Amino acid sequence: MNLSFFDQFMSPSLLGIPLILISMLFPTLLYPSPNSRWITNRLLTLQSWFLHLITKQLMTPLTKKGHKWALILSSLMIFLLTINLLGLLPYTFTPTTQLSMNLALAFPLWLATLLTGLRNQPSASLGHLLPEGTPTPLIPALILIETTSLLIRPLALGVRLTANLTAGHLLIQLISTATTVLLPIMPAVSLLTLSILLLLTILEVAVAMIQAYVFVLLLSLYLQENI
Amino acid sequence: MLSRLVLRAAPAALRALPPPPVAVGVLHATRQLHTTQQSLAPLPPLPEKGGEVRHGLIPEEFFQFLYPKTGVTGPYMLGTGLVLYLLSKEIYVVNHETVAALCILSVIIYGVKRFGPDVAAFADKLNEEKMAKALAVKNEAIEGLQAAIEEEKKEQWRVEGRSYLFDAKRNNVAMLLEANYRERLMMVYNEVKKRLDYQVAMQTLKRQKEQDHMIQWVEKNVIQSITPQQQKESIAKCILDLKALSKGAHAAV
Repeated sequence: MNLSFFDQFMSPSLLGIPLILISMLFPTLLYPSPNSRWITNRLLTLQSWFLHLITKQLMTPLTKKGHKWALILSSLMIFLLTINLLGLLPYTFTPTTQLSMNLALAFPLWLATLLTGLRNQPSASLGHLLPEGTPTPLIPALILIETTSLLIRPLALGVRLTANLTAGHLLIQLISTATTVLLPIMPAVSLLTLSILLLLTILEVAVAMIQAYVFVLLLSLYLQENI
Repeated sequence: MLSRLVLRAAPAALRALPPPPVAVGVLHATRQLHTTQQSLAPLPPLPEKGGEVRHGLIPEEFFQFLYPKTGVTGPYMLGTGLVLYLLSKEIYVVNHETVAALCILSVIIYGVKRFGPDVAAFADKLNEEKMAKALAVKNEAIEGLQAAIEEEKKEQWRVEGRSYLFDAKRNNVAMLLEANYRERLMMVYNEVKKRLDYQVAMQTLKRQKEQDHMIQWVEKNVIQSITPQQQKESIAKCILDLKALSKGAHAAV
């Protein structure tokens, strides 16, 4: 199987059936559902503990009204985390490298926060457009700048995730190609490149986890401003 | 993993099936589908350990399965042959992904080997804490009840000492009464003595007064009866006595 560099980013389809849906649903197979036992096995205990941890982390700064978002934010977190980490395995397709999917996640959620803010507390949420203590002549320019920054948020969210993951995967591809090609020619340099690849892999594991966390954290931040 | 589930469930399922009909010629009754009662509680306990796995991937049952035919090295030969077949026939092509796979797998294996026991211990600790909390509640309840029992026994013992308490109280009251009685007795004695003393004093005073009066009357009469002649004579006599005494005193000295 000869791969080009960008084959891993092509949305997989079999006989015209898009398989991205299955690859997006795959993480759900990996997590056991809580059973009716009080003391569960280790996997379930760790899973519950982790879920508890992230929910507490996300919901502590929010008011009671914001707790309605607990389910969607924690499930989004687990979803992105799993998909990112699974994408590091060889020959896997990472759905979060597709800009379409990330924008499809970012846009509606960001819009929901914006509309919640505009609906329930319009003046307060519009007041975020002007930081405190700006000198008077700067106000019109600053309002425009802040509005732009507000409207660019969903794009930023989506593109951040896509770019990080795509860049990481591409780098892994390139450096592993370098290693493979250099192996017959200059084995020592090839070993050096292999060590770089090891470090990069560790970095990618970290990036995968951090990007998922950042996505959800920013959404919760936008929610905090507007709820 | 699912196969192991089926293997484990198979004997129970087979037992659940009705025995094959033995009697020939008997009318075939409808087969019972549920012969065991499915109850949710008490749940059967979870197995203590997961299934045995060799090299983290291949279940032990596979090795046991191949052991009768191929011995101990059978599965390893199979594995090696399979890998070599895939590589030599280029069914699996070695490309850059292989190197990337090597890296990520080494990272994963290192992570599991290094942090596996710690994570397992952490999970066990979480469960232990959960159980300890519940046990603590139970133990506290038991201790509280036992303390209550002790208190109750003490109260019962105290009740037994009731009679002593009443005796002491009775003695107390009797002493108070006695003291009061003695006090009053004393008072009576003092009062009587005061009155008697008064009478005695009165009598003494009266007698005294009589005496004084009598002495005064006698003195008055005597002084009245002394004539001037007798006075001169007594004075001369006194002077003579004094002279004689003074002579006697001179002589003594």
